[in-house]
Amino acid sequence: MYYKFSGFTQKLTGSAPTAAYSPQGLRPGVPAEAPPMIFASPTKLVSEAKTVEYAVTNRVPDLQKLFQIPDGVPIHLKRGVPDRLLYRTTMALTIGGTLYCLVALYFAAQPNKK
Amino acid sequence: MAHQAHAYHMVDPSPWPLTGAIAALLMTSGLAVWFHQHSMILMAIGTVLMLLTMYQWWRDIVREGTFQGHHTPPVQKGLRYGMILFITSEVFFFLGFFWAFYHASLAPTPELGGCWPPTGIFTLDPLEVPLLNTAVLLASGVTVTWAHHSMMGGDRKQAIQSLTMTIVLGFYFTVLQAMEYVDAPFTIGDGVYGATFFVATGFHGLHVMIGSIFLAVCLLRQIKHHFTSGHHFGFEAAAWYWHFVDVVWLFLYVSIYWWGS
Repeated sequence: MYYKFSGFTQKLTGSAPTAAYSPQGLRPGVPAEAPPMIFASPTKLVSEAKTVEYAVTNRVPDLQKLFQIPDGVPIHLKRGVPDRLLYRTTMALTIGGTLYCLVALYFAAQPNKK
Repeated sequence: MAHQAHAYHMVDPSPWPLTGAIAALLMTSGLAVWFHQHSMILMAIGTVLMLLTMYQWWRDIVREGTFQGHHTPPVQKGLRYGMILFITSEVFFFLGFFWAFYHASLAPTPELGGCWPPTGIFTLDPLEVPLLNTAVLLASGVTVTWAHHSMMGGDRKQAIQSLTMTIVLGFYFTVLQAMEYVDAPFTIGDGVYGATFFVATGFHGLHVMIGSIFLAVCLLRQIKHHFTSGHHFGFEAAAWYWHFVDVVWLFLYVSIYWWGS
């Protein structure tokens, strides 16, 4: 019995040998021995990187730490000042817009006196 | 500190559903006010509110998934169902416009000259720019699949390159189509031919633009290391949407550009 990983249901399902789950893909298998240990690598200057876009440092672990601080702040305000600014602007437009809308609809509903 | 004993995502209270609903209210009533009182202010506020809502709501989803780890396998399964159902609803949306086209073109009325294309309509040559557009979108389908395999294989550089190429091709399609619109020998007001042509291809073009923006956001996230080789559903959703856009174009090309010419 061969199995494949159904990308849709995220489970293993039965399959033909040709479609069977092959985690290594078509690339050559990983060598059995560990790569040589490098204890200190020379720091790479940004200008040495082939293209700017690949030299972006991975800030995800720092952001994960920031967003997982257990301070009870909801996700839409978790970043502090910029979040609050954007939220207040949005809410101001929401409430102001609703009032303007009600006024506009009130006037639109008045009969046209000629 | 309380921990949940299940794998599901209990979302923080959020204001975005409310602001989104109000945006819809302001856009629709703004449309009516624009028609009858010639003022675009309400519609503009509604549009700005919609854009703000979309930006903040999706930003929060990225935060919840990538930074807080809430997108466990069952949660991701739900997101997959959601995207598939949304795309299905869009299929039905386009089905309506294809229905209109076939209704008008399979039994052309005497007012049109009893023929399709109607008398006096000079159609676009399907073997010119429309064929190029077909090639461009098909190629973009290849590049987005290339991007996916690169991502799954952990090849960061190729994923970025192929995703960029996909977006460039999408942009190229939009530019070509815009040029076709400007130079077309008929307008949206030219009877049922013009109406079906521009409404169907127009909504398709809008979806190409939306898909391109979705892919561009994914490119930004890929550059910022958000995606891993095993977990990149945002990109998969964008790729599904892009393939849907491609398929709709193929139907448009065969039905309206080719058969309808």
